Amino acid sequence: MTKKKRITGDSIQAMLMLAPMMIGFIVFTYVPIVLILRYAMYQSNGFREQWIGFENFIRLFTRDTQYWRFVLNTLVLSFGKLLVEIPLALLLAVLMNKGLKATGFYRVTLFLPAIISTAITGLIFSLMFAAFNGIVNGMLMRIGLIAKPVNWFGRQATAMMVLGLASVWNNYGINMIFFLMALQSVPKELYECADIDGITPWKKFLYITMPMIGPTFQAVLLMAIVGSLKVADLILASTNGQPSGGTEVVMTYVFKYFFGYDGRTIEVGYASSMAVVTGILLAIVSFVYIRSTNKLGHSTE
Amino acid sequence: MRSTNRLVSATLTYLVLTLVFLAVMFPVAYTILGSFKGNMELLTKGNRLFPEKFVLDNYVQAWNMANFAKYTWNSIFMAGTIVVGSIFTCTIAGYCFERGHFPFKDFLFLLVVSSMFVNLGSLTLYPQFAIAKVFGINKTLWGVIIIRVLGLNVTNLFVTRSYIRSISREIDESAKVDGCSFFSIYARIIFPLLKPLIATIAILEFRHSWNDYLMPMVFTLSNPNRMPLIVGIMNLKGSGAAASSWNLMLAGSSIALIPMIIVYLIFNRYFIEGLTAGAVKG
Repeated sequence: MTKKKRITGDSIQAMLMLAPMMIGFIVFTYVPIVLILRYAMYQSNGFREQWIGFENFIRLFTRDTQYWRFVLNTLVLSFGKLLVEIPLALLLAVLMNKGLKATGFYRVTLFLPAIISTAITGLIFSLMFAAFNGIVNGMLMRIGLIAKPVNWFGRQATAMMVLGLASVWNNYGINMIFFLMALQSVPKELYECADIDGITPWKKFLYITMPMIGPTFQAVLLMAIVGSLKVADLILASTNGQPSGGTEVVMTYVFKYFFGYDGRTIEVGYASSMAVVTGILLAIVSFVYIRSTNKLGHSTE
Repeated sequence: MRSTNRLVSATLTYLVLTLVFLAVMFPVAYTILGSFKGNMELLTKGNRLFPEKFVLDNYVQAWNMANFAKYTWNSIFMAGTIVVGSIFTCTIAGYCFERGHFPFKDFLFLLVVSSMFVNLGSLTLYPQFAIAKVFGINKTLWGVIIIRVLGLNVTNLFVTRSYIRSISREIDESAKVDGCSFFSIYARIIFPLLKPLIATIAILEFRHSWNDYLMPMVFTLSNPNRMPLIVGIMNLKGSGAAASSWNLMLAGSSIALIPMIIVYLIFNRYFIEGLTAGAVKG
């Protein structure tokens, strides 16, 4: 017997109950995307607009070298910090999975930064690393590691480092918990067998643990990559792109054009075309990632 | 031999975990202890974690002069409304998608799910704001509240749907026989059974809305009286007085941090479960 799609009293009730959410969802999730696609064809300051076809995209691909510089910044920052964040998260998860007594305490406390606002994280790190009265310089000088204050936010390399550190601090916790959950689901017998065969811990990790947590690893890494490419509030709350665009990322650059933030003139049309291109770039990164890590994801099947 | 090995390994593990613990707690300790330092101390020296002299001045000043009483109230109002609203919208949507039968159900669900892949994060803030303008809700926190509550959080929807799936259908069936309608099954039977899940949703939504920066900032740009805490603190940083208002920024950050940390320490199980459940069950 197939269920006939009959409209009954119950289905009307269901539709009525769901309607506010579906309307809200479509209006605030899908309509904005349609609007972005439309704005991208216009020159607009938010009040007056004029149709200019693909001119915004031509400007983006041929004349705006800044955008591409900030794409590069985004990639450097994201992958740089993930090189620290993911191994750190995995290491902590492995250590906590050893079943030692105080594991619960560490799981609760080490996860704590993950519940803290990204904007506040940016602010705290920018105060800690302030050149003159920041506590990091103060302490480094007190123990004699540096003779005079380091201007952390004065150079691109050090500013990026501080941002990376702040981002790792804010985000490693969630990855750590994912890894821990995956580790806990690995059958203990596998390790017991390995123990009987006298396998070294490092080989156990490489040949048992990694293949077993492969699918989780793949998913966690994808979320971490996409999440860090989309970072905006951390940068707005700390360096705001300084020194001279050295830490500007794509999301903050586009944001500033949309809202005329930080002294920029509002250019909704141009910002939208950048948003479209950024969205496509994000999709390409995800696609390439999924294709190239397929082996990792299916290793247990 | 074996037991010494184990002892060494345990010691090393604790050593690494403790070192990471100290490094990770440092920024939190810095913020909270720093908020008790005098402004003179904050502005002239930064070489110690503990204040030379504990002062409460910063809080008094932030609360009375810098509008933080208002910001705090706005944050409580915004987060509270979003939490309560989301509990209803998420559970109703999850219930309808799991137990309801209506035209285009699968299509609508697909539409909701695929939004995860077209989500541009902060890039859609401008059009969302423009739409809110059409409805006249672009200058208050109500705009943020409506977008968050009616906009459906996909993760929460997933978690709710799979939770409701685990509730036996026989319960609904027998209620139906007794004359319960689709809505009253939700209100009288399903909703009360969702308690643990509601705690998870509430905590996740609280974290998200209490910590959110960009969306409330955009909606309160022209209306500083409505700013929530995070926006108010960041506003201080962007202002010309940033260099001299470290005390207010630290006190403000602590006011934003401490409730969050307390809620986390009490309900940490739900936090960790909730943040991971969506990805795993989804």
